[in-house]
Amino acid sequence: MNDYLSPLWISLKTVLATTAITFVLGIAAARWISRYTGKLKPVIDGIFILPLVLPPTVVGFGLLLFMGKHGWGGKFLALFHTSIVFSWPATVISAAVMAFPLMYMTTRGAFEQVDVNIENAARTLGAGEWKVLYSVTLPLAWPGVLAGTILSFARALGEFGATLMIAGNIPGKTATIPVAIYFDIVDGNMKQANILMIIVIGIALTSLALLAYLKRPKARSRGLVVNPVPSDILAAGKKRDISS
Amino acid sequence: MLKIEINRTLPGFKLDIALSVNGEVLGILGPSGSGKTMTLLCIAGLIQPDSGFIQLNDRVLFDSSKKLNLQPKDRNVGFVFQNYALFPHLSAGNNIAYGIRRQPRDEVNRRVQLLIENMGLNGLQNRYPSELSAGQQQRVAVARALAPEPDILLLDEPFSALDSLTKEQLEMQILDLRQFYKGHIILVTHDLAEAYRLSSRIAVYDAGKIAQCDLKEKLISSPANRTVARITRFRNFMDGVITGITDKQICVTVPDLDTALIVAVNGYRNLSINQSITIGIRSEHIQAVQGPGQNTLQGTLSSTVENLASINCFFDLKTNKDNCYRLESAFTRGTESTFSNGLNYYLHLPPEQIVIITK
Repeated sequence: MNDYLSPLWISLKTVLATTAITFVLGIAAARWISRYTGKLKPVIDGIFILPLVLPPTVVGFGLLLFMGKHGWGGKFLALFHTSIVFSWPATVISAAVMAFPLMYMTTRGAFEQVDVNIENAARTLGAGEWKVLYSVTLPLAWPGVLAGTILSFARALGEFGATLMIAGNIPGKTATIPVAIYFDIVDGNMKQANILMIIVIGIALTSLALLAYLKRPKARSRGLVVNPVPSDILAAGKKRDISS
Repeated sequence: MLKIEINRTLPGFKLDIALSVNGEVLGILGPSGSGKTMTLLCIAGLIQPDSGFIQLNDRVLFDSSKKLNLQPKDRNVGFVFQNYALFPHLSAGNNIAYGIRRQPRDEVNRRVQLLIENMGLNGLQNRYPSELSAGQQQRVAVARALAPEPDILLLDEPFSALDSLTKEQLEMQILDLRQFYKGHIILVTHDLAEAYRLSSRIAVYDAGKIAQCDLKEKLISSPANRTVARITRFRNFMDGVITGITDKQICVTVPDLDTALIVAVNGYRNLSINQSITIGIRSEHIQAVQGPGQNTLQGTLSSTVENLASINCFFDLKTNKDNCYRLESAFTRGTESTFSNGLNYYLHLPPEQIVIITK
């Protein structure tokens, strides 16, 4: 067995789906909790962060219990005559659960750094909560949101323990790169493991380079007036460019 | 017309105020933590009062008895925050355009251009907030708040972050604003002089309550209570008892000083003989005179402070108690040479400058 394309393909699919899910859920949860003032705030916050501090195998075992035949999730899915344990969606679920806390924590921190007066200014200017989120909060918290996305992407790419517990190692179906590497080494298939390792390092370096590129300092946002250009990236991206 | 009557209780603080504004500039004056900003936030809908109602022109914005609470976005209230809260990722022009909704692009451009001209921001519309001076940022913030044509403009300590020269220029601009903005304006400040220059009526806040709300001239000439008197810079207070009332004068005996002072009657009603009151006089109204006479006290000069426009002298008056009473006076510059510490002076308190405070 020297098919290294299949784990790469499964991993890419899983990581992209996971990143998309955690991006949306992480932002939604961060937005909700940063404005929630109830007594349960520390409890909810703790539950959201829990997968980060638990061993991945424990999370995977918990998911297995929940999603299995006798768990609530499994029983619910059984109503639709389906099951996700040891199927591809299980790799996404396990990776998403493990990556979510990183997206949530980083985004929440970034949201709380945004001056509430700036958001309030948008509200008094007639912006609803959606408009405040996409036109003010997200642009201002963007470096943090981006960092959270890259971190959860990296976490999803490296996910092993929880994935193995709930998705197993079915070649061509649920065997992601980390799982495939482990079983290649167990089977003594060192050449295959080496190739997969180089691929993972390549993906990791590429994403770190991407992060550095997207977070590079801009003269304008630093407040340095180097050479005031009428329209830069930000102004060009806006719907109304009144400079013309 | 804006009418508000609101209550809000926080641990250790209770806001309980009723105000109305009608096509004028109302100044809200008070120390930090007296509820000034909270009032503005309630009007804008950014915090919710526990009870009461807020009505702006013919629209009810908040009514606790009907469980009505309009969202901030639907209130049409212009808000200038203390730190201006400009959108740092948008240019000045796009900051101003942010609140102009449901208008064709030409109309948006026209209105932005008009505001840029009116606020003296020509040539700055493509600059980002970080590239603007504090004064320019403030003008962008005012222009942005005015862009949706709000029914009321709320200014939260708009000058507190500026140097005095910029502050004077911007105050002129706020006064000029009345030429093109006809709505109501509320200005929150802790600076009496600023409130006096910019507004027609002033509400003095004290610990979440309105101590007095009056035309500014009335507020300065007849403070309703000691708090207002202190905030409006009365420096000297004496406790006394009314011992005589005529058509033109009131005689007040000050037991601590073993003396009687004459106060000119100007609009005092409901005063009676033997009523305990406090009298107050501003430091700049005290005159140094040659010899004894009516309303003249003797005092020993204990210290002087030189100010830009005046010289402030502190005199110790003899009392029949162990402690002494310190009188603060402000004389015009150039008279310093006549004062030296430790000497006795005669100080005249003009009857028409003394105010009677009943509470």
